[in-house]
Amino acid sequence: MQSALEYIRQRDAPQTGNQILSRPGRLALVAGLLVLAAVGPVIQSVQPFWLNLLIRMLTFALLALSLDFIFGYAGLLSFGHAAMYGTGGYAAALLITDVTASALVVLPIAILTGVVTAAVIGWLSVRARGIYFAMLTLAFAQMLYVVAFTDLPATIVAAETVTGGDNGLYGIQLYELFGIDFRDRLNYYYLTLGIVALSLAGLVRLANSPFGRVLQGIRENEERVEFVGYDVQRYKVIAFSISGGFAGLAGGLYVPFQSAANPGLLHWTVSGELVVMVLLGGMGTFWGPMLGAGLVVLLEDRLGGVASWEIILGGLFVAVVIFAPRGLAGVIVSFRNDPRAAVGQARRAIENYVETVRG
Amino acid sequence: MVETILRATLLGLQLGVTLALIAAGLTLIFGMLDVINFAHGALYMLGAYFGAVIAAELGSFWLALVLAPLFVGVVGAAIEVLSLRPLYGRNPLYHILLTFGFAIMIQGTVLQVWGGQARRIARPDLLTGSVAIGSLNYPLYRLFVLVVGTILIVAIWLAIERSNFGILMRASAHDTEMVNALGIDVSKVFTGVFVFGAVLAGLAGVLLAVSRSVNPGMGMGIIIEAFVIVVIGGLGSFRGAVYTALLIGLVTSYGALIAPTLTELFLFGLMAVVLMIKPNGFFGTTEAA
Repeated sequence: MQSALEYIRQRDAPQTGNQILSRPGRLALVAGLLVLAAVGPVIQSVQPFWLNLLIRMLTFALLALSLDFIFGYAGLLSFGHAAMYGTGGYAAALLITDVTASALVVLPIAILTGVVTAAVIGWLSVRARGIYFAMLTLAFAQMLYVVAFTDLPATIVAAETVTGGDNGLYGIQLYELFGIDFRDRLNYYYLTLGIVALSLAGLVRLANSPFGRVLQGIRENEERVEFVGYDVQRYKVIAFSISGGFAGLAGGLYVPFQSAANPGLLHWTVSGELVVMVLLGGMGTFWGPMLGAGLVVLLEDRLGGVASWEIILGGLFVAVVIFAPRGLAGVIVSFRNDPRAAVGQARRAIENYVETVRG
Repeated sequence: MVETILRATLLGLQLGVTLALIAAGLTLIFGMLDVINFAHGALYMLGAYFGAVIAAELGSFWLALVLAPLFVGVVGAAIEVLSLRPLYGRNPLYHILLTFGFAIMIQGTVLQVWGGQARRIARPDLLTGSVAIGSLNYPLYRLFVLVVGTILIVAIWLAIERSNFGILMRASAHDTEMVNALGIDVSKVFTGVFVFGAVLAGLAGVLLAVSRSVNPGMGMGIIIEAFVIVVIGGLGSFRGAVYTALLIGLVTSYGALIAPTLTELFLFGLMAVVLMIKPNGFFGTTEAA
């Protein structure tokens, strides 16, 4: 895996320079957020339905961010991110139903739930590497899915129901926060947008911090980092837990919005789709995976009625993996740098492809 | 009591050999090509659908059993040549992602073409009824699956160990460049292995389509189970996959007697424990990246 990761870094990862997200990149992101904030009221007055879609896109962007933090920066392919997303979501659902609907209480606990879940899974999985790590995270996440699906907690504590089993929990109330009425979708939109912006800022900071540098070192060459004296396993577990916290937060945001929590949140296909989003967008760039997530959610929604969105999504994804291994972010960056060279590159890539297929 | 246990054992073995057919393809493809094939479950589903259509149109289970896996093989060949071949030598991660894309695409195509409704293949006349084993009446078709599955597994094992193609296959996996230098087109060998795996998955799909329902979700359901088996057995190990598949089949079948809802939990738990104790699985030798 080591050599492979080095290889992938050299060949495929966008060269972001010393800083993750250079100044222009950050400015572009801030501009993007401002645009999103500004268009909110417009969209609500024109087509309120689109606001729901935007909220969903933002939630998945947050989830993709959380995965990119460990996958793109620490090189840990988690195929079980649904575990933290789902437990965060269930925690929010249970708290809102039984304790309080205050966002100031529930959201931090959703984060904490994600952190704890990730810490346990991470601690049990980090010694395995590469595909085995991916498979372990998948196994643990799937175990949680079965636990929620069969409502095992109810059996254990002898309650009538805890997770609601197959049906899940529904009728989840919206948050309370400073008396803001979240039934107005625009308010929920701003809540989500604000949280995503804060999360992004936090993760960029973290990735640029000495801690983040160690993670990148682990991605590049785990042994070397170990020899320098870092406790690699500990760093991995901590990074995984941080990532899990953001995933839990995404779950906590999504459940009241959907007013339901069901085992589907924990299913492995969620984790799989998330990996698709990150790679489609371009791993290790933060903005790429957010873009990828938005695009996938948009495609799913727009093409859902056609019943062939899976064909289109799958096809798009296959094409990206073959022709643009750095994802959409890579395509955008190379076009911005030198459009003519990018076109030439694309032509060469296609020629290469035809040649290898012919054998 | 004895009857119940005997029935559960036979059921478990039958489930085990079908799982072994699916897992064998998966593990061979990984062992030779270094590809984790996420589309394997989709190919299995495709086998079931092709089988159901052929059986319905031509009215023959036997034709379905022969033709459907061949069609799946053609699809497998297309996937390997058009998409995997250009990616060899890149990080294995990309293969997971690529095949995941195909899994989504195939599922979407199946939904589009055949709709979401479940179907089934009618049991062939020859295999209706049941046989008496001691005091137990056991369905003839299930016995047929058990026998055919066992014969196939043994045949594959012999093919890998004894046949020229098996030797070539193992040599290509071991030292691709050397085999290439000897004048053998390794990329054809790789295509052959992938197609072989696809045919096995398709065959398992047809065999199971008689007793289980054929639906668009079946591929995604089976793939995780197959992964669990292959990982526990040791990625790339044929022997490991077969033993583990039989074990999982029996565990599932006995588990259904005791606590049916917890079987799946147990499977994932078993995988987690095995990976933590033996990170490469029971029969895994090489460190996979």
